[in-house]
Amino acid sequence: MALPFTNAIRTLRFLTGEMTQAELGERVGVTRQTIAAIEQGKYSPSLEVAFRIALVFGKPLDAVFIWQEPPAP
Amino acid sequence: MRDKEMTFREKTHWVAMVVLTLVFGWFFIHSHTALPRGPEHLAASGGLLMFSTIGIIIAMSIIIGFIAARNPQDAHLAADERERSIHWRGTHYAYYPAVIGMWLCIWLIFSGYDRVTLLYSLLGVVVLCELVRIGSQLWLYRREA
Repeated sequence: MALPFTNAIRTLRFLTGEMTQAELGERVGVTRQTIAAIEQGKYSPSLEVAFRIALVFGKPLDAVFIWQEPPAP
Repeated sequence: MRDKEMTFREKTHWVAMVVLTLVFGWFFIHSHTALPRGPEHLAASGGLLMFSTIGIIIAMSIIIGFIAARNPQDAHLAADERERSIHWRGTHYAYYPAVIGMWLCIWLIFSGYDRVTLLYSLLGVVVLCELVRIGSQLWLYRREA
């Protein structure tokens, strides 16, 4: 089932000197495989991990995770 | 499926799945074809079960030790939230065959089946639950990989 949001992790990794998934995982406290799953939209991280990822890149949460579904009427 | 795509825990799950299937597959086939019939069958089954259990422990220890030695950094990593979630969901899926299996065994007791049948039924339930747990966890690992 597709997640209702996308993310900019791949782009942000590229912009921070091609940071590897393993390095990001180490800084966030998850495995490289979990970062790969989040990046590909196959796993929805907890709010804590989402904030930790945003903090690593020095960006607000909504610059890393972008909600795609239209808001409920 | 590349080796690097899997975490240490996923690899240990594959090992557990293969070892359990092989050892208990051999146990059930061997106990039905090679063990003596009659009153001594139960004791012989017990011995074979103990032998199989020790075999599983030794085989898994050796293989997992070998995997850990190849990549100790990976082996020492604590499970993250995704892995914990996979573990919980897999255990939850195994709850259903456990309940159905227990009711089946209760029915066998009240139907007057002998102790050997009950032993194999209980063991079958345990092995089935383990295979469902490990299998569903592997499926979840692969689905999110």
